[in-house]
Amino acid sequence: MKQKRSWSFFTSGYLILVLLFIYLPILYLILFSFNDSKSMISFSGFSLRWYESLFTNRSMLQSIWTTVEVAVIATVVSTVIGTVAAIGLSKARRILRTIVLEVNNLPVLNPDIVTAIGLMLLFLSLKVRRSIVTLTLAHISFCIPYVILSILPKLRQLDDNVAEAAMDLGANPFQALTKVILPQIAPAIFSGALIAFSMSFDDFVISYFTAGMDVQNISMYVYSMKRFNPAVNALSALIVVAVAFILILANLVPYLKDKKNKKEE
Amino acid sequence: MKKILSALMALVLVSLVFPVLAGAEDVVEDFHGAVLNVFNWGSYIDEDEQVLESFKKKYNCEINYKNYDSNETLYTKLLGGDDPWDILVPSDYMIERLIKEKRLQPLDKSIIDNLDNLAEPVRNLAFDPDNTYSVPYLWQSVGIVYDTTKLDPALVEEKGWEIFLDPSIKGHAYMYDSARDAFMIALKSLGYSANSENLEEIDAANEWLLNMHRTIDPSYVTDEMIDGMAEGLKWISLGYSGDIAYIISENEDMAFCAPWQGTNIAVDAMVIPANAGNPRLANLFIRHVTEYESSLLISDYTGYASPNAQVLEELYGPGGTYEGNSAYMPRAGYAADEIYVDLPDLAGELNHRWTKVMAAQ
Amino acid sequence: MKSFVRMSYPYILWIGIFVVAPMIMILLYAFTRGGNSTLTIHFTLENFGRFFSDPDFMRVLWTSLRIAFITTVVCILIGYPAALFIANLPERRQTLMILLITLPMWINMLLKTYAWRGILLNFDDMSSEIKVFIGMVYDFLPYMIIQIHTAIAKLDRELLTASYDLGADKWKSFLKVTLPLSIPGIISGVTLVFLPAVSSFVIPKLLGGGNYVLIGTLIENYFLVAGDWNFGSAISLIMALIIIAAMYFTRKIDRAAEEE
Repeated sequence: MKQKRSWSFFTSGYLILVLLFIYLPILYLILFSFNDSKSMISFSGFSLRWYESLFTNRSMLQSIWTTVEVAVIATVVSTVIGTVAAIGLSKARRILRTIVLEVNNLPVLNPDIVTAIGLMLLFLSLKVRRSIVTLTLAHISFCIPYVILSILPKLRQLDDNVAEAAMDLGANPFQALTKVILPQIAPAIFSGALIAFSMSFDDFVISYFTAGMDVQNISMYVYSMKRFNPAVNALSALIVVAVAFILILANLVPYLKDKKNKKEE
Repeated sequence: MKKILSALMALVLVSLVFPVLAGAEDVVEDFHGAVLNVFNWGSYIDEDEQVLESFKKKYNCEINYKNYDSNETLYTKLLGGDDPWDILVPSDYMIERLIKEKRLQPLDKSIIDNLDNLAEPVRNLAFDPDNTYSVPYLWQSVGIVYDTTKLDPALVEEKGWEIFLDPSIKGHAYMYDSARDAFMIALKSLGYSANSENLEEIDAANEWLLNMHRTIDPSYVTDEMIDGMAEGLKWISLGYSGDIAYIISENEDMAFCAPWQGTNIAVDAMVIPANAGNPRLANLFIRHVTEYESSLLISDYTGYASPNAQVLEELYGPGGTYEGNSAYMPRAGYAADEIYVDLPDLAGELNHRWTKVMAAQ
Repeated sequence: MKSFVRMSYPYILWIGIFVVAPMIMILLYAFTRGGNSTLTIHFTLENFGRFFSDPDFMRVLWTSLRIAFITTVVCILIGYPAALFIANLPERRQTLMILLITLPMWINMLLKTYAWRGILLNFDDMSSEIKVFIGMVYDFLPYMIIQIHTAIAKLDRELLTASYDLGADKWKSFLKVTLPLSIPGIISGVTLVFLPAVSSFVIPKLLGGGNYVLIGTLIENYFLVAGDWNFGSAISLIMALIIIAAMYFTRKIDRAAEEE
């Protein structure tokens, strides 16, 4: 018993250390978003000037909007296409699956810049004007492989018999899909969507080459900054707070529901 | 997931609506919300973009304002896309190329009638002597910024570009990652023209740069040198006078040196592409930016020299933001200083050689 | 069940347009010489010769691979225990932990790197190489943890119980059950870490103080600044081939583990 407790002490200690490492720069960003001066090294006093400057900076706000818009569309579309394709592939003949997966892996294997150049050359040769549409298409196409990569291993471990049993019992293929397969791979779909979103949210290189230049996402904005503008710290701090808020809510709701259910019982 | 996203979107929406609530001014001419596409260097306007805001109000239009980070990126973008930009701000040699390739349209001087304010050094520039295609936006020279607590000003002034071959600054130097500028300092140091196309001279300059690479092991950066020098992370760096003026205004230990061997004077100017969607609005924009108020805001924030004589005098003179800041006022009329000429055949070669210098052991 | 196969057809069309066609364009450029806008079909190996005959370029390639390799190993060493410990938590806390780990992925990578730059500037004595590794491991660690965790979390609990019943202790069941079955997670983690790490240049640039020229920098430079798309394509292709070869070997390990 004693050994067990010290082991769990060790594991939680380790996880706390990992979390500290992951959150250190974020706490640093938040701290320096309140800095009185432009420095990212020394904290000279408390001020809200970067928050003010964030809300008056039109190009920065516009670039955030573009980033979110593209990331949302890219996540939704790539998760749908990726999930559908993964299910199809998991039932495909080995040869077809292998070939498609090899090709699917290319954007993952390829350095961003290669994918970016390839897509740019494609759009140019098809004489498609680069815009937010080409940007979104590019994002979708580099997100799908990650969705598939995260779902397929899960699908391969599923027991085919369950879905077949369901169909033997009278379920049509669509029901087998939605009632049996999808619920089992839901966590993998979720993690695939998460990866897709953060990939799209963070991307610089591919956007840079496929967006034309009348569209600018936040990475492109930050990259084109000559001098570091601490207003972007303020922006990050706001994103952290917003995401953390949602996170707490998302965890609190099922907990409260549980409690309520128990009471009713 | 969805909840997170919608909350984020709401947040962004609120922040987008916020600035719109600010007051309105008189409309001079109504363009009914037409969009002007402006493509400029990053951080190359006043901090809050007041220059753009006031233009939008004056003409009831929208501005799609985007940034690029080098003339070459701009050119690649122009080559690649058919994005209809209305205003670009390339540098001298790139404007020369764009004129040669017939990618620009002549300006409408009946609209841009305020060019009398142009400062003497930016008049009659070789790449566009009568301002047929371009109006200067900001100008500058390439120079050295150094920490006076680490390096003796007398030594830096005496050596000029040769300071970059001095072993005493090993590990303490930034070198700006720009092939053309790197070759410029080597060529100037060797007494050649910055626009040399002579392969023997270029070979010698290449050797000079390799020597520099081995002797001082510099950190190759681009705009990171601005914050880096302002924070005093290194002793010395190659830089652009406007950025250096800003660095000096942030950190008074820093000083500027315009090397005696001569340097590059660069002029970034506004041009209108031949395929611009809204030439009239673009011409009005150039007029607006050339006005005293706009030029003051832009030059004050960026630290680059204004093409407007009055602004130049005020910012550099007593009580001005850059009073006595030698980096703000580029050296005018120095015989060894040169403006770059477009070298399309050589550009790739210089770049290839420069990449090899940076990657060398 | 076979009818599900049709679900993969739209995607096959998609990758034909957005993955295969772009690669063909790059191949074309890599094996030709000529201008940027007009593609003159004249096949040559000159671009490759130029790269491999140059000791400086070879060293750049080697440095990039070394940095990516060390980053990946460190990510596995830190990430595996973390993923394992998370998987042993009660379910709701697991979800919370995963959310906590993914939350920073919402913050722009460039910004986090700027933050690290600020933090690390306080440590004058630290070598720039260590700074680069901290930044790289930081950026890629969450991907590794999530992939490994996904693999461990879906392990059948009953397998572990069975192995306990058969008298195996914790350590032995870990070695015989958990570890082999979590290898697919490690492999996909490696895919998400090693590959982007090889071509990464922003982190080394910001944290290494500009003392590193990496393969990503080279490609960027030849495409964007020099406008030499042919040579840039050739370097990209070389890099892609090396990476694909590396992945081929990791996948072999994956298969070997699965068969076991």
